[in-house]
Amino acid sequence: MTTENMAPLLQAIGISKTYPGGVVANDNVNIAVNAGEVHAVVGENGAGKSTLMKILFGVEQADSGELRLVGEQVRFGSPRAAINAGIGMVFQHFSLVPSFSAYENIVLGSEPRSGIRFDRRKAIEEVRALSARFRLHVDPLQPVRQLPVGQQQRVEILKALYRGGRILILDEPTAVLTPQEVTELFSAIRALVAQGRTVIFIAHKLPEVLEISSRITVMRGGKTIGEIETKDATEQKLANMMVGREVTLRVERKPYNGKVTLAVNRLSLMNELRATVCDDVSLTVRSGEIVGLAGVAGNGQAELIEAIAGLRSVAGGDIAIGGESILPLGVRARRGKGMASIPEDRISQGLALGASVAENLVATRLDDRLFARGGLLDLGEMRANAERLIERFSIRIDGPNALAATLSGGNMQKVVVARELSEQPRLLLVSQPTRGVDLGSTQFIWRILTETRNAGAAVLLSSADLSELLALSDRLMVFYRGRIVAAFRNSDELTTEMLGACMLGLSRQSPEEMRAALA
Amino acid sequence: MSEAATTRRWAVLRRETGRALGAAIIALAVAFLIILFSSKTPLQAFATLTTAPITKVRTVGLWIDDVAKLTVAGLAYSLVFQARQFALGVQGQVYVGALAASYIALSPLGQTWCAIPLGIVCAMAGGALWGFLPGIAKARLGANEIVSSLMLNYVAIELANYLIRVDLTTPNSRLLSTAPFPSTAVFPALIPNTRIDIGLIFALTSVVAVWFALYRTSWGLKLRLVGHNSRFAQYAGIKEAFIIVSAMAASGALGGLLGAMFVEGRSFGKLAVSFEGNLAFEGLLIAIVARNRPLAVPVAALFYGYLRQGAQLMSIRTDVPSEIIVIVTAVIILLVASSYSVKPRAMLAAITRSSRPARTHVEAVK
Ligand SMILES: Nc1ncnc2c1ncn2[C@@H]1O[C@H](COP(=O)(O)OP(=O)(O)OP(=O)(O)O)[C@@H](O)[C@H]1O
Ligand SMILES: [Mg+2]
Repeated sequence: MTTENMAPLLQAIGISKTYPGGVVANDNVNIAVNAGEVHAVVGENGAGKSTLMKILFGVEQADSGELRLVGEQVRFGSPRAAINAGIGMVFQHFSLVPSFSAYENIVLGSEPRSGIRFDRRKAIEEVRALSARFRLHVDPLQPVRQLPVGQQQRVEILKALYRGGRILILDEPTAVLTPQEVTELFSAIRALVAQGRTVIFIAHKLPEVLEISSRITVMRGGKTIGEIETKDATEQKLANMMVGREVTLRVERKPYNGKVTLAVNRLSLMNELRATVCDDVSLTVRSGEIVGLAGVAGNGQAELIEAIAGLRSVAGGDIAIGGESILPLGVRARRGKGMASIPEDRISQGLALGASVAENLVATRLDDRLFARGGLLDLGEMRANAERLIERFSIRIDGPNALAATLSGGNMQKVVVARELSEQPRLLLVSQPTRGVDLGSTQFIWRILTETRNAGAAVLLSSADLSELLALSDRLMVFYRGRIVAAFRNSDELTTEMLGACMLGLSRQSPEEMRAALA
Repeated sequence: MSEAATTRRWAVLRRETGRALGAAIIALAVAFLIILFSSKTPLQAFATLTTAPITKVRTVGLWIDDVAKLTVAGLAYSLVFQARQFALGVQGQVYVGALAASYIALSPLGQTWCAIPLGIVCAMAGGALWGFLPGIAKARLGANEIVSSLMLNYVAIELANYLIRVDLTTPNSRLLSTAPFPSTAVFPALIPNTRIDIGLIFALTSVVAVWFALYRTSWGLKLRLVGHNSRFAQYAGIKEAFIIVSAMAASGALGGLLGAMFVEGRSFGKLAVSFEGNLAFEGLLIAIVARNRPLAVPVAALFYGYLRQGAQLMSIRTDVPSEIIVIVTAVIILLVASSYSVKPRAMLAAITRSSRPARTHVEAVK
């Protein structure tokens, strides 16, 4: 046996990286990935995981340290160099061309050709073959814009594989997926490994990490804390290594008995193609109560929340806050009535990445006399507001003037949450509040949501994470094909399996059962 | 914390200055090469290009006068670009503003003290209207602002040409310009015997005003948020349509002001056909180099105005054709546009490596 076979497939030694703003994102980091394994990297938001991956993929350059591929030192000056060395990466935030079809996105940049012409038929065939081989099913001809997130991700993975990637880096692939899609992704990862590929996998949900990985590298505060075999790891052990203290994910809920704050009455909604996405939906949310919306993505719950937020027009029915219809009101007027909203997608909707954190934190309150008098901004107050919220929500950044784009994913989410909860809302709309957020922050956001509820807010919560819904909600509504098909009062007897069966339309409630939990 | 912010700001400033200087040096090098091939006395021509603007008080005046105008044009573009509206209507606004100022100057009011203030107000109002139209068309009807603003440019230019010929010239004259304005309607000089007039003060005031509006008012923050992410702006409850329309109208007012600065300035003192010599459009370049930052606009204008003036003097005094300026401008645009979207090292790597052209694919997709 030669030493070559002994050396890890990909190794990083003593990597350090300081961003121009002075943030030390990686501090003497080491990682060794063996051929044919699923190597997980875990750590809190801002621990430096994405930065390390970007260095492995040549997007960022390390200030010091070295990379070795099968024992030989390599330098990746650009992603192209890393791709040529057989590394592929799917970023935390996708980079597809929305108007191009799936197969065009996959082959973009390395198109098969006959002569100088782009050989479409060959491209489509190759994409079909690749997706069958790795169990990553997508329709090659669909424009990416029309694909659900889970499929967009498959397109990203196929794109990396198409370029001959033997090492595949997946940066938080499961954060955007439904439980069903996670299962499918995992079977694809297993197929990849069975066929000799190596996967580096980042996730915040520890059960996922324990299920799919064979070894785990733990990062904290820019440093690698250690490496552990998955078979020796437990959730608690990992959590303690990551956070450096004990964590528990439990929230205490006070009983509630408030007045109805939000009333949705026989609401119908249509999508852009004029197909009905919400059909005759009625529900109420009381002050001091969290109502959870469960449903497989695309069954109408996201659209319902958009309509309440004032971002989608209503085809029929009514929405009222405190007994008053809000349909004639625009977003600003609804916010004026005490509505706050944490949107599903922080990048495309929740933030202006090119603006500073301080600016992002006041964006919804620019007509508030606190920040703007006579049309003039009070920069001092904006800064003080930002410093207050950064402190209260422990956002990891180097000052209120940092651009939102330079924050790690979890910290971006905290900025959104901080802005929406900087004042106690009357009605809080929440979608996927802890998507891509680490354990410590999840705990923190859950606590904040519960506190907001206890202080009297009516909270409407939509999440793909059923355990999150069960942990937080007082009542749960299940959406299936644009209708509420089941309603529950939360209790210890209620399980994710029961919810899952209703979400897939497999089990139904009697009208009496449903009515009991609807009011 | 604020120390980190300050060092970062300096780092950004250094980087941006470096880029602009780099672009200027490469542009000069390209200019030199072109001159080498097109002139019999290349060294003399190049010397004219690089030094002529500062050799005489008069040429310095020409340069600074251009800088003032380029600054206002650059500001007008910066304002709409920050809201990510690609309105290209400054040229048309200049013509409309110039017309408005000319009508005031040539009316009985033109003989009184109020000729200049009234002329400027009317010019700005006219320009604002010309900016408002594509804005409202976009907000209400979804009309593409690039197309509608360019169309309105032609309307304004032809309108000005027509009015000069049929309405504003003295009868029987075949001149393509109006009679000279009365002296009450011409800007007083700041420095005697040069072209430098109070237009420079208007330009500097505009810089401060635009900076203030963008960075110190809630309107400006809303405008920038719309520019960064319009979906976010809607979600946050910002009235996007209002911001788009008002940004385009405000930018139009600057265009109108520029029109008044042209016709009431000492270099003209009358309205003539094609008076603006494409300068309004070159404001686009200033805005790109300055990255739409109002405080950087006059700096960029200073550099670019110098090159522009040098090229004009070169075309008069040497055998190099005046078209050279067009080529040099194009080179600067290319350099600037690419250096602002591509990292220089990556670009160099892309040039030196024989990579497949990405273009083929795009063609195939079309
Ligand atoms: N382009 C950048 N400029 C400046 N600072 C940055 C930049 N990108 C990341 N950072 C900072 O570097 C640190 C590490 O970020 P990184 O994205 O690697 O974290 P992460 O472990 O991937 O976190 P998450 O789980 O939230 O995605 C963070 O403090 C972040 O704010
Ligand atoms: Mg990350």
